[in-house]
Amino acid sequence: MRVLPLLSLLLCGWFVVPAHADDAQDWLKRLGQAEQQHSYQGTFVYERNGSFSTHSIWHRVQDGKVRERLMQLDGAAQEVIRADGRTECVTGKMVSGPGDVSAVSARQLDTQKLNDWYAVTKRGDSRVAGRPVAVISLTPRDQHRYGFELYLDRETGLPLKSLLLNDKGQLLERFQFTSLETTTPDDSELKPTGLCRPVATADTAAPVVTTAHAWHSDWLPPGFEQISSTVRRDPRTKSEVTSLLYDDGLTRFSVFLEPLQGTAVPDARVQLGPTVAVSRHLTTPQGDMIATVVGEIPLGTAERIALSMRVGKDESQTKP
Amino acid sequence: MSREALQESLSAVMDNEADELELRRVLNAFDDTQTRDTWSRYQVARAVMHKDLLIPRLDIASAVSAALAEEQVPAKVVRGPWRSIGRLAVAASVTVAVLAGVRLYNQDDIVGAQLAQQAAPQSLSAPMAKGPAVLANYSESSDQATGPMANGVLQGQPGWHDQRLPGYLRQHAQQAALKGSESPLPYARAASLENR
Repeated sequence: MRVLPLLSLLLCGWFVVPAHADDAQDWLKRLGQAEQQHSYQGTFVYERNGSFSTHSIWHRVQDGKVRERLMQLDGAAQEVIRADGRTECVTGKMVSGPGDVSAVSARQLDTQKLNDWYAVTKRGDSRVAGRPVAVISLTPRDQHRYGFELYLDRETGLPLKSLLLNDKGQLLERFQFTSLETTTPDDSELKPTGLCRPVATADTAAPVVTTAHAWHSDWLPPGFEQISSTVRRDPRTKSEVTSLLYDDGLTRFSVFLEPLQGTAVPDARVQLGPTVAVSRHLTTPQGDMIATVVGEIPLGTAERIALSMRVGKDESQTKP
Repeated sequence: MSREALQESLSAVMDNEADELELRRVLNAFDDTQTRDTWSRYQVARAVMHKDLLIPRLDIASAVSAALAEEQVPAKVVRGPWRSIGRLAVAASVTVAVLAGVRLYNQDDIVGAQLAQQAAPQSLSAPMAKGPAVLANYSESSDQATGPMANGVLQGQPGWHDQRLPGYLRQHAQQAALKGSESPLPYARAASLENR
């Protein structure tokens, strides 16, 4: 008779362990769908080394269509309006860069892929913005990416707080809602202010040039794939700058390649909160180039990527 | 090796924050009397800051070194059973030296209150005069640690990088934010770069 409670305890233990692991996966799935399923409005703060800002967000899901407006509340009034993952308009200051800002469609959170590169565990429960949340931690399986701690809303699965941590557990950035309501914003709240400039699909301000140069990387941290590649002419120096964007499902980094045209440029490394920038000098058959890697990745990884850039197409790569 | 670097390492060793290399550097430089003086000054300063009791002239290390130097020769010459006795003698003399030191320390502990009143003010005056050595060292090290990555702000990178890196940082943030991302996080990153 004594064996019975022991047996049941053992059985319980047997079931609890996998159930726990599934729990974290379930939360990840909910996170992936949350933005497409729930309307909400609220305010959040963003903090990184040397910067703290507050923002408002209005997010509406109607008939399967997502429309979103973001507005910075302090300093310059920076605004972005997005519809189904496409950027419709941005305030003047923010659109100084790339031409085809809307070329890539929204990417779904690929939970299977995430599990390959991050260990996902549920850490417990907490409260953010007055709402109960589940704490999920994504610990990188290698040293080439940072870890995340996500606080997901129990009701909707939305990320109410997101912390980026380096390998020593130091906080690199904080994104955190201070208030959230799950009411649907109306049309007036989603309307752009006068300063918001529409983004054309093909931006004429920065003409995209075709080039003989093609680039590939000899080495990439595992899991990262190239998701876009653009070449544009820098209006000041008249040189062609190739920019490549890579993604592992959660983290992104860019590589910029620019010909040096005889100027001597020292290698450089800059860390700006979570974002690192590494410039490395490369000697190619077409002349000296400088490769700059920018992204939310560890410094050593960025440096290795910069040194691995090569001219020419990679034979093993099927996609151009 | 510069004097400042050594002093910095010394202070790191004292705070138990030295890495392997620094520890080695300090140990190598420890034969130098000047280094040892600095070390003992630091100890005095720390003892004052932590309000610890301290005997400034207690130098177990040199006593041990002296004992070792004396015992070395017979231990090498004698073979067989004598050898182990020689070793024992070395160990014993080290123990004696340490015990003597500890006893001395404990004795003082007994008359602690009295001695603290006498010794502390005495030792206080000395490090206070030389005090800036420690304090200046702290500010110095923080200056040196900056380099090009000071507080995330671009520093000492004249010319090309001044123009380009901020542009590239912005461009990356915008690409990440605007190219089909569901989360508002990349947008916040991009916006925070604009605020600079």
